[in-house]
Amino acid sequence: MEATPTEHNLPLRSGDFATLSEALDYAARGKTGANFYNGRGHLEAVLPYAQLRDEAVDVAARLTGLGLERGSRIALVAETCPDFLRFFYACQYAGMVPVPLPASIHLGGHKAYVAQLRRLLLNCRAEVAVAPELFLSFLREAAEGLALRFVGTPEQFREFPKSASRLVPSGPDELAYLQYTSGSTRFPRGVMITQKTVMSNLASIIRDGVKARPDDRSMSWLPFYHDMGLVGLVLSPMASQVSVDYLKTRDFGMRPRLWLSLISQNRATVSFGPPFGYELCVQRLRGEATGQFDLSSWRLAGVGAETIRAEPLLRFAEMLAPCGFDPKAFTACYGMAECSLAVSFARLDLGLTLDTVDPEILALEQHAVPVPASARFFRGRGKTFVNCGAPLPGYEVEVRRADGTVLPERHVGTLFVRGPSVMSGYFGEERLTRDVLSPEGWLNTGDLAYIADGDLVITGREKDLIIINGRNIWPQDLETIAESQPEVRTGDASAFSFTTDEGEDRAVLVIECRDPNPLRREELSHRIRSLIRQELGIDCFIELVPRNTLPRTTSGKLSRSGAKNDFLKRVQEGKTERPGSEDARRLGSIAG
Amino acid sequence: MEKTYEELLREVIALLAPLAPEGRTVGEETDFVADLEFDSLKVMGFVEKVEDRFDISVPLNLLPDIRTVRDFVVNLQRLLGER
Repeated sequence: MEATPTEHNLPLRSGDFATLSEALDYAARGKTGANFYNGRGHLEAVLPYAQLRDEAVDVAARLTGLGLERGSRIALVAETCPDFLRFFYACQYAGMVPVPLPASIHLGGHKAYVAQLRRLLLNCRAEVAVAPELFLSFLREAAEGLALRFVGTPEQFREFPKSASRLVPSGPDELAYLQYTSGSTRFPRGVMITQKTVMSNLASIIRDGVKARPDDRSMSWLPFYHDMGLVGLVLSPMASQVSVDYLKTRDFGMRPRLWLSLISQNRATVSFGPPFGYELCVQRLRGEATGQFDLSSWRLAGVGAETIRAEPLLRFAEMLAPCGFDPKAFTACYGMAECSLAVSFARLDLGLTLDTVDPEILALEQHAVPVPASARFFRGRGKTFVNCGAPLPGYEVEVRRADGTVLPERHVGTLFVRGPSVMSGYFGEERLTRDVLSPEGWLNTGDLAYIADGDLVITGREKDLIIINGRNIWPQDLETIAESQPEVRTGDASAFSFTTDEGEDRAVLVIECRDPNPLRREELSHRIRSLIRQELGIDCFIELVPRNTLPRTTSGKLSRSGAKNDFLKRVQEGKTERPGSEDARRLGSIAG
Repeated sequence: MEKTYEELLREVIALLAPLAPEGRTVGEETDFVADLEFDSLKVMGFVEKVEDRFDISVPLNLLPDIRTVRDFVVNLQRLLGER
């Protein structure tokens, strides 16, 4: 078996197509395609775009034969495998809407995963659900009693007859896919993205962000059900006709060095990851000879998906400099599923651009006043943020105060964006859509940011969202788990993130507990921590507090920011243990 | 020679011991999540060690139904038998 080539003769078109099927029709005229590597780094499957197109058309004819309404949702458990691509594009050719479902399961998390799949199937009102053999039993369990036309494997689906009628691919104004935000698992939100919308973002990413070259090659271990994995590393390589090499997220998690060895081996030029991915490499490569890698081909090491801290990236660059890794390859970007993917890209070949501001003025006045480089004595005292670059063409950005006033440059507020790749809304959730998207097309990103010389600098989440190891964790998910325990009443739990002394974010859950018995209290917090690990795969710091400790707003609603402030005070006063980063350190030392 | 359940158990416990929270001993009934406080990253780190140690591939879909060390060893024995 041989991977698809990097070099090819098809003239580069930078995503300037009306639809995804049109883009694939063009890519299919070349020799490039997608390659799948297994957990040992061996090539397991090769899927040239030409073959992908033919096989997608074949599946499309069978989809059409089912006589489903146009735009029906086809749920796909998005394992990193060739069949996901075949079925995703089959939907494009058949005028159906693919819905990638998570393919991520945690130890002991059987029930939680099935419940999550079921919520998604219900929310998108799927007609068809497809999963690879490995995931089929979970999908079947999730779909039990639901009126789906088909639940099964890709092989089983291919037993349907082909329709003889002509395929009518999705048009520019029809939905290209439904993307569940990597947010709340309990309250799913399916982002609706039309062909026009995603093509606009792809063209912009390819032309203005990545500045694609005909001899580019991409590499990715990002899940296909996340926006960066799907739009950035599945659709974007295809729409720019370049070959791409895939590693399953799980295999990367086990052996992060495979990311680097596949880039070395295939001379990949473009690869993205959350900061956490780079950090994991640093942790796990410790003590290992790095001389085996040659990263000199890697011209664009994209960083996104969470607020970017510079230090772990700088450590990565330092550790891999002997292997030819160029720190200038780091390219910070900013985006979200609600914008298809990208809103801004840092300029290429500059590496990370840092903005160091006075922490006092920032905290007191939300004003990001730069600390001049000459002020040496400030070293270590300034607060440093990563510049995420200028908004992509066609995007407008505004930083607003809580009352809606638009703030001038270098003032921190909520970031609003308007542009050609903003979603049409959340599927079946008009109220949720109205909450974030104005009739004039302004999207409330929920992120805190300031603008510096026209560039975006993200300082954190406006509220609530907890980001652990690159994954978004919604506080209401943690709170719901706590409240599902008989000892905890609804509204008696509050979750938020806490940044440890080591600069890592941890989830904290403060729970009002009426039971004074220390053993039972211990057992309760232990049980909740376990449930959270099973459902979300993260560690959570739990604090039990007496009744009426959690601050409430006048309307009786819990105030998470108030709860966090009180918690910080208790930590400072030594009344509560300070959550640390022991877990991460232990992991590093084990792996080292 | 195929290894017995007891032999495998001993080897798995040896792999787990350095991953356990301080002061916690690992036995057959030890629960990965509740006792060892495994999050998804630690699980990956552990599975990597097992795969390298026994030269097998642990299928992802086994994980959701594994709670204790015993569950894991039973599955490991089956995987080794299928080789």
